[in-house]
Amino acid sequence: MNNEDKLHRDLEEMLELDPASLKGDEALETLNWDSMAVVMFIAMADKNYGVAVNVSDVRSAKNVADLYALISK
Amino acid sequence: MAKSTFHNARVAGIACTLPENEVSTEAIASVLGLPPRRIVAMTGIEKRRVAPPHICASDLCADATERLLATLGWKKESIEALIFVSQTPDYILPATACTLQHRLGLSKECASFDVNQGCSGYIYGLWLASSLVETGLQRVLLLVGDTLNRISSEEDKSVAFLFGDSGSATAMERIPATSHFILGTDGGGAGNLIIEAGQCRQRPNSVNSLRVEVEGGKRSPTELFMDGSEVMAFTLREVPPLFEQLLGYAGLQRSQLDGIVMHQANKFLIENLARKIDMPLELIPLSLSEFGNTSCASIPVTISACLREVVSAKSLTLALLGFGVGWSWSACTLSLNSISTPEIAFLK
Repeated sequence: MNNEDKLHRDLEEMLELDPASLKGDEALETLNWDSMAVVMFIAMADKNYGVAVNVSDVRSAKNVADLYALISK
Repeated sequence: MAKSTFHNARVAGIACTLPENEVSTEAIASVLGLPPRRIVAMTGIEKRRVAPPHICASDLCADATERLLATLGWKKESIEALIFVSQTPDYILPATACTLQHRLGLSKECASFDVNQGCSGYIYGLWLASSLVETGLQRVLLLVGDTLNRISSEEDKSVAFLFGDSGSATAMERIPATSHFILGTDGGGAGNLIIEAGQCRQRPNSVNSLRVEVEGGKRSPTELFMDGSEVMAFTLREVPPLFEQLLGYAGLQRSQLDGIVMHQANKFLIENLARKIDMPLELIPLSLSEFGNTSCASIPVTISACLREVVSAKSLTLALLGFGVGWSWSACTLSLNSISTPEIAFLK
């Protein structure tokens, strides 16, 4: 599994979405994305990808692909 | 870097007093229209103690002090300094420590002063008390407590279910015991945990005292703002290296620690921090489920709630970690050896 697929699976679990439902172009506002999800994503980026993401960058993210870009830096 | 080692400052006892009034997360979540299951899973907080209007942090600390001194059998005239650490003092002035000296009946020869620190505040207080004892005083009282619910909006989803009110008293004495401290600051993070109005930068007035719609609810500028995402990022960034520095400075291996008592920020944050510092959760006691995030007193509350029987009977080598508002951080290693720990009491 590549990192993009792995992120999709991680986000599905974190946001309690259907398994294998994310493709990458989904808008975050349609995915239970709230302030608690931002906190959880910061921890997940650190834990699963070893990346210390910038909080304002996470808040600026519009879709799943934007989140993938953050953990790919 | 602010590093200190002490060889003649021992914690003789710790006591905590909390308000009797209890509020469940379920109750507040239903008011805010939030799912209680998700909040409890994230924060670890099932319920908290919330002080009624007539109880201040000083009242909780005074009760804890009376009970601690009685347990220790210390005479009040033997106390040479009183430190009160709080973000919710009784007054802007005078220092609440001065009023506590009087109401507790301590000697007029007792030095008394306040310290404004939150999440890092207990260890700051221990550091100061240890410094005073190391340099000649025989007995010092460290009173640490907050009633953050008094200055938080119950309509703000980021804080409404988080804080528990509490007070603590810790007795320090000049007896051989070794401890190591490291403290640090990054005031660049001040805006992430702040009450902007109500003091001198912005005096309270009819406008800034009104709650307005903000992201996640309603809050006035005279109430606490917290950016939980920035708190998480800050903690994961600063605390793991702090812990490594502490172990190196104290000359301790992880296996030599009997426990790590962290500031009880929330369960999700502590679990992530445990992973980052490579310590098992079994060694990290939590008082969150019963008492919530008890601000500057969360470390003594956790010791009293989770380790009371052990530290009163034998010696534990502990690391303490405090981190948050400021940004401010503090860490220490010390041994708690057969200390006096009266049971947690609840004030009406």
